[in-house]
Amino acid sequence: MSDFAIKVEGLSKKYKLTHANREKSLVGSSISSIKNIFTRNTNTKEDFWALKDINFEIKKGDRVGIVGRNGAGKSTLLKILSRIVAPTTGKIEYEGRMASLLEVGTGFHGDLSGRENIYLNGSILGMSKSEIDKKFDEIVAFSEVERFLDTPVKRYSSGMYVRLAFAVAAHLEPDILIVDEVLAVGDAAFQKKSMGKMEEVNQKDGRTILFVSHSMQSVQKLCNVGIYLKNGELIKNGNIDTIVSEYVNNGENTNGKYILTPPETIEFGYVTQLTIENIDENILNEIPVGSGWKVRIKFKIIKNTPHFIAGLGIVTSLDMPLRTVWSEPNDTGVGEYEIVFDLSDILFTTGDYKIIVGLSSNQRTFQYINNVFRIKISDAGEIAHNKKVVNTESGLILNPAKTIIKNIS
Amino acid sequence: MRTIIKSTDKASLDLLELKRYAGLLKYLSMRDVIVRYKQTWIGLGWSIFRPLINIAIFGSLSLLLNKGQSVRENYITVSAAIIFWQLISTSITDVSNSLSTNANILSKVYFPKLIFPVTSLLVCIIDFLISFVLYLICYLFLKDLPPWQICFLPIVLIIGLLFSFSIGVWFAAASVKFRDVKFILPFLLQIIFYASPIFISSNYIMSLHIPNFLKKIYLINPFVGLMNAYKYCFFGEFEFFSIKLLVVNIITLALLLVVSIRYFLKFEKSFADYI
Repeated sequence: MSDFAIKVEGLSKKYKLTHANREKSLVGSSISSIKNIFTRNTNTKEDFWALKDINFEIKKGDRVGIVGRNGAGKSTLLKILSRIVAPTTGKIEYEGRMASLLEVGTGFHGDLSGRENIYLNGSILGMSKSEIDKKFDEIVAFSEVERFLDTPVKRYSSGMYVRLAFAVAAHLEPDILIVDEVLAVGDAAFQKKSMGKMEEVNQKDGRTILFVSHSMQSVQKLCNVGIYLKNGELIKNGNIDTIVSEYVNNGENTNGKYILTPPETIEFGYVTQLTIENIDENILNEIPVGSGWKVRIKFKIIKNTPHFIAGLGIVTSLDMPLRTVWSEPNDTGVGEYEIVFDLSDILFTTGDYKIIVGLSSNQRTFQYINNVFRIKISDAGEIAHNKKVVNTESGLILNPAKTIIKNIS
Repeated sequence: MRTIIKSTDKASLDLLELKRYAGLLKYLSMRDVIVRYKQTWIGLGWSIFRPLINIAIFGSLSLLLNKGQSVRENYITVSAAIIFWQLISTSITDVSNSLSTNANILSKVYFPKLIFPVTSLLVCIIDFLISFVLYLICYLFLKDLPPWQICFLPIVLIIGLLFSFSIGVWFAAASVKFRDVKFILPFLLQIIFYASPIFISSNYIMSLHIPNFLKKIYLINPFVGLMNAYKYCFFGEFEFFSIKLLVVNIITLALLLVVSIRYFLKFEKSFADYI
């Protein structure tokens, strides 16, 4: 018996990208689409390697964190490991039963009751009826939805829905469990509970876990080894602490300008570029403490987007949310747009911050970019603001308050 | 148990693996049956009303064509055919759509994709059984005991289902890449409907003064043989029969089944990339 759980050799995955030849005018584009009917190929195709020659071995009982920026190939890797898509080259070997959780509640049907969905979802994830029967009470207890078991899940609150879905998955008993960021949903208490469940599963029965998350905190807490992917290549694998620090230090050499590739699926549109600028509109990724700064986001809208909002969040490097701002809701048509968020009004202290960008339509987010954009507020010792001196160690926010001193004696 | 995935893996029909997923088949069919008539006022009644409406329309049209027949006989004959046609056409449609309606599951979890068309077929059979039992009751009540030929019925039904399944599976695999299928299918079904002895009997077509080659084309349609065999089970006599036609039909079916399933398996691995 060998002691590896998963062995990956020379794994690559190729996709074909199609570029349409652009016509600027409406007439031009209609003519070219008519021409396309007959000639078919005015489009150019390009090979895109989502994964390039990946090799690694995972030991039984390891908890593996896979880290990397958006588009690094993490999800592709998980999809190949869980046999949803086939690799272009290479070989994977694994021992035992594998279950993957790429999404919470796959196959849940809104019209079915909680009870029916437990059986349906369980069987989709690969459990037999007797296994589900055996675990049924535990699943219900974990999900805390006893009272609503016979209610259609479309009437559930989103929290209940997620709890039920995760509960089913958490009671799977595979030898290898693959989890893709599903913990990002649900409230803090539930996230903690789910993390606890994953740890328990691993420690009690020595199961192997593969975990993708953008939260370095969770990855470091849960995993013992890590794999760092960048642009489809494996940069490093090994001890989780080295991987996380490598990733955090490596990920930010972008000089304040980020050019983004279009996501796999585009609903209404996507962000094409983000720049961090000082008040004179110079692109920088380091802003001296006390100075104002702006974020300029360029995005493309591919179809009419009702009630469009662009939102921007700032969180600390430990993922504590500091601020969320958003644009006025607007019905937005096809085109390329630019929005500038002027963030000069609040002064954050020195340190590293992350910027989150979300695009939404009718209160529903269709693109959410987390853990890509970073800004450093650099140290300048003491600063003066509105003729008041503030100390960078006085707190996260440095804006001085208006104070009035009156003699009331 | 060790699993090895290679980029060079060839598609194959793994019946053992399919059997392991029998539970999933059960719950997916259950979902479809429950969800199908959810939030409809008549509920399961729709599986009776749909054929009933067709019977009313096409039974009356058929009356105009077959002037000699009694009204009662006419409706009994047309009803039998309509119920069977409903099974064939819904199963072709549902099996063809089975991948796109389950796209979200297909791109998130692995299991043999053939589960989806099989599920759709099962659900159509359940729907059929409801109206079929009702028809049998009417038949006994209005006519008589069915002839001994009724014992061929299971074979005819299985052949019919295999036909629909093969066509549906091919369309299902093709529709992942070519959404055109969605538009072609309704027309195709409409053509087959009029070109099969459902309310226009084969005798009527054969008695028409049309060129011979048109009649030959008519006979090549596998659903002509199938529909006639089905009516034979209920009424004990053939509208039209030839052994040559039967052999051609059976060969067509076998070829269609093999080709479709191979086509499906060949593209199975890339479904998640395209859907």
